[in-house]
Amino acid sequence: MREPNRRRALVGAAGITVGGIAAARMLPEGMLLRDRRPLRSRVAIISASQYSEGIVDSLVAGIHLFKFDLRGKSVLLKPNLVEYIADVEVNTNPVLVGAAAEALLQLGAKRVVVGEGPGHQRDTYLVLVESGLDAQLRSQGIKFVDLNRDELVKVPTRANFTGLDHLWLPRTVLTSDVIVSMPKVKTHHWAGVTLGMKNMFGVVPGTKYGWPKNILHWKGIHRSILDICATVPIHFVIADGIVAMEGNGPLHGTHRLLGKIVLSDDPVAADFTCARLMGLHPERVWHLDSAAKFLGNGATDRMTLVAEQLPKTVAPFSVLPQFAYLRNQPQL
Amino acid sequence: MHLLIRAIREAIESRQRNTGGWSYAAHQDAIEPTCLAILSCRNQPGNYLEGAVDFIERAQNPDGGWAAFTGDDQQSCWTTALAVLSLLAVRPASKRLESGIRWLLRTHGREGDLLWQLKFRLVDRDVQFDPAKCGWSWIGGTTSWVIPTAFTLMALRRAKRRLSAGSDFTLRIRLGTAMLLDRMCPGGGWNAGNSVAFGVPYSPYIDATSIALLALRGHQHQSGVPQSLSWLSRRISGCSAPYSLAWGIVALTAYHNSDMREEVLALANQALVAMVVERIDSLDTPTLSISALALDALQGDNVFEIAA
Repeated sequence: MREPNRRRALVGAAGITVGGIAAARMLPEGMLLRDRRPLRSRVAIISASQYSEGIVDSLVAGIHLFKFDLRGKSVLLKPNLVEYIADVEVNTNPVLVGAAAEALLQLGAKRVVVGEGPGHQRDTYLVLVESGLDAQLRSQGIKFVDLNRDELVKVPTRANFTGLDHLWLPRTVLTSDVIVSMPKVKTHHWAGVTLGMKNMFGVVPGTKYGWPKNILHWKGIHRSILDICATVPIHFVIADGIVAMEGNGPLHGTHRLLGKIVLSDDPVAADFTCARLMGLHPERVWHLDSAAKFLGNGATDRMTLVAEQLPKTVAPFSVLPQFAYLRNQPQL
Repeated sequence: MHLLIRAIREAIESRQRNTGGWSYAAHQDAIEPTCLAILSCRNQPGNYLEGAVDFIERAQNPDGGWAAFTGDDQQSCWTTALAVLSLLAVRPASKRLESGIRWLLRTHGREGDLLWQLKFRLVDRDVQFDPAKCGWSWIGGTTSWVIPTAFTLMALRRAKRRLSAGSDFTLRIRLGTAMLLDRMCPGGGWNAGNSVAFGVPYSPYIDATSIALLALRGHQHQSGVPQSLSWLSRRISGCSAPYSLAWGIVALTAYHNSDMREEVLALANQALVAMVVERIDSLDTPTLSISALALDALQGDNVFEIAA
């Protein structure tokens, strides 16, 4: 008699679990999310007028403000490496990527690797060489990992905005102690802006999801950004806003000399700050607004600007007409 | 040349895993590197080739498709097409072929559904394309893209001559061909799948253009195909990456009838040989394999050349 009871209990437990998961998936996405926001986030805005070797010192000083203990840690730098277009600043500048690697090593990191999985271009090495990043990393002895072709591990998603209950993710991403998102500050023709959180599309592997990772578009770009960033922790952001892009970003916009690097220990705070520097309303970007409810801080009273303050006035970035609502003032 | 091809094949063979498959860079069997390795070694019968083909047969899902790597359970069009091409090349009597081909025939990009066609025609018009011209997606539930469509067209065109072809073959090949021609960039060549978005023309990629041209062999008089060949001839000059360069060579050799192209190919050959010799140990298996296939093609043996 004991055995059937045990079996019944197991079947019942399994039923409750499956039913619970199914019910949980039907609830509004926000209801089940654990609030992971830190009490306070820190952001450093650093002025830099050009890509030069002097950036290393600025970054060391800037990261030092966060009292970030990097000793003995393995670090993955995730730049935005999309494709090479002559004379267009599409990618995170190689000099800044190299400077970030050098700064993190100076601050005690055991190992720094750079990893990216470009969204459209299958020949990652071609983009790496043509963008100048290959030469930069070789000169410093820094390893590059093609995240589109890394070993993949199935990981349950830690949010439910897309309905994807798992993502296949590169082992390099999952085994790094510290993940640093290094976006290029740009407008984006689908998402409004592409910053530290959107930059994480690059950790989703092409071998599984294709080039482009079209399933993320079908599931909704904003929703996909949230699921990815809830699942893959971004420990730090170093945003390239020295030469940014406005208009029809992320590829065909125009340069905007912003002259800023933004550092933060909270990707949401970093992205809100970048958007404010762009003269855009961050809370009008759906994924930023949603992320500020559970993943990080967007409100200015929950973040400390540890270096420079936001400028008093900003000429808003130009945007495509469908994103005019992001601007503080009408577009001429 | 023969020595280099042999060295490449030895390097590929040395990387074969106990399972019979190959991985990208880590310890996880994957279909693309295994299929390209099989194709590059197809003329060297031996235990390792048999083991590789056995691996491909074992990796097929019950419904006929192939996932991209071990552990994944969702089929991909591009890997299914590559598996079919590989079996056709080295084990044409395989019982797995028919179910693989049938899987490809019943799979299509999401814009092939009527409601989605309406959406793309009436509402979602930022990207210019004709949704009625539908090919194959990377994975299910998404739209058609150039590379999976081109690989699948090659597989179906090859298979059509070997299996009893029905009207669905003809229809899908015609639609897929039309899709590729529709998605061509304005000056020739192909990007990942879109030619114009938000009013801006996209730039072509070398590998996508090469694979699309291979799939379109026999259509060289279609509008845009000669421009695409010209673009590719220009673009591979000075190309610094062996993977793209090798695909470019494979495509151009399939369209041999121009003096200018012979000159380009001679230079491309030199560049590819230099790159492979310098980095044979660090290049990944797909790059090594496609390099071997490019060197084969230059000697008149082009595995991707489909009879027009």
